[in-house]
Amino acid sequence: MTPPINAVVAALHRAAPGSRVMMSPAQMAGYESDGLGYKSFRPDLVVIPSDADELAQVVRVLHDARVPICLRGAGTSLSGGPVAAQGGAIVHTSKLRAIREISLDGFWCEVESGVNLRQLDEALQPSGLCYPPDPSSGPVCTIGGNVASNAGGAHCFRYGVTSNYVLGLEVVLLDGSTHRFGGPAGGNGPWLEDWKRLMIGSEGTLGAFTRFWLRLTPRPEKVWTFRATYPDLQSTERAIHGLVRHPAFPVAIELMDPRAVALVETSSMAVGLPKGHFLIVTEIDGPAALVDLRVESVAEVLRSAGSADVLFSDKAEDRENLFKARKAMGGLLGQVSPDFLVQDAVIPKRALANLLQLIYDEADRAGVPAVTVMHAGDGNLHPNFLFDSRIPEEVKKVEGISKRLMQRVVEVGGALSGEHGIGNDKSAYMPMVFGPESMHLQLAIPQIFNPRHQFNPMKVFTERRFVA
Amino acid sequence: MSHPLLEKDLLSTCVHCGFCLEVCPTYRLTGDENNSPRGRLRLWREEAAGRLARDPETDFYTSECVGCLACEPVCPAGVAYGDILEQTRHEHVSAGRFHPKPELRLAAQAVRYPALFNAALAPARALRSLGFFPHPLIFPGRPHVTESTAAYARRLMMLHKPTGPRVALLTGCLMEAMFREINFATVRVLIDNNIQVVIPDEQGCCGAFHEHTGLDGVDELREQNRRAFLPLAVDAAVSNSAGCGLALKKTLAPDMPVRDVLEFLGEIGIKAREPRGGRVYVDLPCHLVHGQRSPGIPAAVLDATGYQWELAPCAKDCCGSGGIYNIQKPKNAREILAKKSAFLNEAEGDPIILATSNHVCMMQWNSAKSLVKRPFRVAHVIQLLDPNCRPSK
Repeated sequence: MTPPINAVVAALHRAAPGSRVMMSPAQMAGYESDGLGYKSFRPDLVVIPSDADELAQVVRVLHDARVPICLRGAGTSLSGGPVAAQGGAIVHTSKLRAIREISLDGFWCEVESGVNLRQLDEALQPSGLCYPPDPSSGPVCTIGGNVASNAGGAHCFRYGVTSNYVLGLEVVLLDGSTHRFGGPAGGNGPWLEDWKRLMIGSEGTLGAFTRFWLRLTPRPEKVWTFRATYPDLQSTERAIHGLVRHPAFPVAIELMDPRAVALVETSSMAVGLPKGHFLIVTEIDGPAALVDLRVESVAEVLRSAGSADVLFSDKAEDRENLFKARKAMGGLLGQVSPDFLVQDAVIPKRALANLLQLIYDEADRAGVPAVTVMHAGDGNLHPNFLFDSRIPEEVKKVEGISKRLMQRVVEVGGALSGEHGIGNDKSAYMPMVFGPESMHLQLAIPQIFNPRHQFNPMKVFTERRFVA
Repeated sequence: MSHPLLEKDLLSTCVHCGFCLEVCPTYRLTGDENNSPRGRLRLWREEAAGRLARDPETDFYTSECVGCLACEPVCPAGVAYGDILEQTRHEHVSAGRFHPKPELRLAAQAVRYPALFNAALAPARALRSLGFFPHPLIFPGRPHVTESTAAYARRLMMLHKPTGPRVALLTGCLMEAMFREINFATVRVLIDNNIQVVIPDEQGCCGAFHEHTGLDGVDELREQNRRAFLPLAVDAAVSNSAGCGLALKKTLAPDMPVRDVLEFLGEIGIKAREPRGGRVYVDLPCHLVHGQRSPGIPAAVLDATGYQWELAPCAKDCCGSGGIYNIQKPKNAREILAKKSAFLNEAEGDPIILATSNHVCMMQWNSAKSLVKRPFRVAHVIQLLDPNCRPSK
């Protein structure tokens, strides 16, 4: 039997006196949803642990009290991950924001889970090192959330995603005990249990992350940014294929469809792109002498694919302008629509035409505006459907389109998520991708660490319901 | 009837992306999402839509906001947070959900009568001019006790007869009544740079004070200033206080351009002062860079001070002043300031000047003298541009 909430609060105060425990209805409101703002789940309590030790105590108390536990970083996720889908407690890591060490000779850093990417980048700047994953919520999102969802970003085409940079993690398990998985010594020394890959992308279903050891790389000496537009999908695809095969190995290949271009061009952020065209933005970086040598040949790939307006620059201000239309997109969606649902499918590049047609057909039939952007290098497609969540029919329409889109993604051999995670937004689609045996095996893992699904229930698999 | 903020769709513009969290001083202080713009918007929306009962915590989180507006420029969805906050604050005060401190209520009444307010603070000006600064928020300075900025400007205009652009200067309420020396310096710098200065006689408080506190009176004050400024044949209205400048912008837009005086000087070009010793650390007022969306104080203007200068670390972050926030929420304001001012302990240069362009930020920074372990002086950038030889004498 679950003890009364006041008894849980009292136990939390005793076990973690430095932590904040909140439970009034108004205090729960701010924690009802993540970046997928239209889906709300009101928690019963919110705890802000003062440090990692208290976080472990908080987990222990909540475990003993049989309260569902959901870890939350900045709550910028777009998949409904860090929300109390089954009520219970949100444990917010906003006070765990120490950068504990930057090892210049080892090329790694040790950070707490609430550190955000901009904070880390600012701390690394003087050293000439960087941490490459760059989700667009970088100014706010936490490393904890990034590791939980194995976040990516525009530049992950060449640099790889979060899992390529996690050397080790410190994790609080359900009983409040603290364990390390991997570490800067690559699994030797005190970090014998090098199972870190099990934890990365586990979306809060296995344990509570408190600390990470992250691999760093040198900051690129020089960057060139290119922008080109294309009148049709065929020439756009030629450009993408040319870029991915080019020896310069672009760090990012970003695509916007004509509807996305039109949205920018009819807004105050217009940059003068031709209407009805696709947009490609790409970047190369590395040692100055090397990248300077490759500029013209990258431009030639873009031109020969069929673009008549290839622009490129290595000046910071110009580069920002070339990237402006792509960067403005997310914000514009918010300005033109009360809500938007962004999908995160990964598709084989050859299926792009097929998927775009489905998006256009579905959106037009339902009268739902849809604009699509894509990390084209790695096939990570982000169609955005604009709607008003206050109108139930619109929600229904958008969720219907989303489901049919995912069915098609699976048919063409794609995956449900590239970088946002499954959360509760896409958990119902998991059986479309995985058969019963695979589902059984995948569910067996949380059952070892988290037998009753007390950590982040109702996420990733709909079957993961916590029963006290 | 539905809630006015819902009717205008203002509250539904937030898409809950969270980009505001890391720029919000109270979120950074507390780590509590309810104490962030996205959290507050959610509370207000839930209550307006009837999904959340009136709750003392909602009142508390509303009162906690500094009003620095750092969330506005980073908001991808363009949420008009400042307008929503202003309306909500006013609603909370009107409904008795929040009680501004009595001294603020009194001041809000007093500033509606500028002559009375100026007369009432004459003893305070006299004390300052004699070198007494009885409160940590009162920074040193030697204001004229009797002569008004308007009279002073008329005198200087007659004497020097500048022929350049013509501006109408907002002299402000507290600025004129307490820190008049900054207005005098502004007049001197403008006239020294051949700018014609007009001081509208009928001008009143800009209304920012009432916006911050949520008290009645904003509309009347705006109307008064529209009557005072709009008939004038000037190139721009200028303000030497970023907060007042923002309020005046809202008042006069789109009928008259309103410029921060330093921005205006940067555009027309400015006489440089002789190079001087010491180091200036420049802090940028929130209502300049966030509220007015200005890129900051122009580098050419800072160069013209003759001082070696650099931006203070995190210059765009709030100092905790928030207009009257340091009076309403002194503990929070102090914590914000303690973090922000810590760099002065190790800062290079001697003497050190902390310069900004808003008198309420100067007041807050002056109170950091008990936090910082070495002496420093607080100045308005316009004072650093002030000609060494006063043209009036």
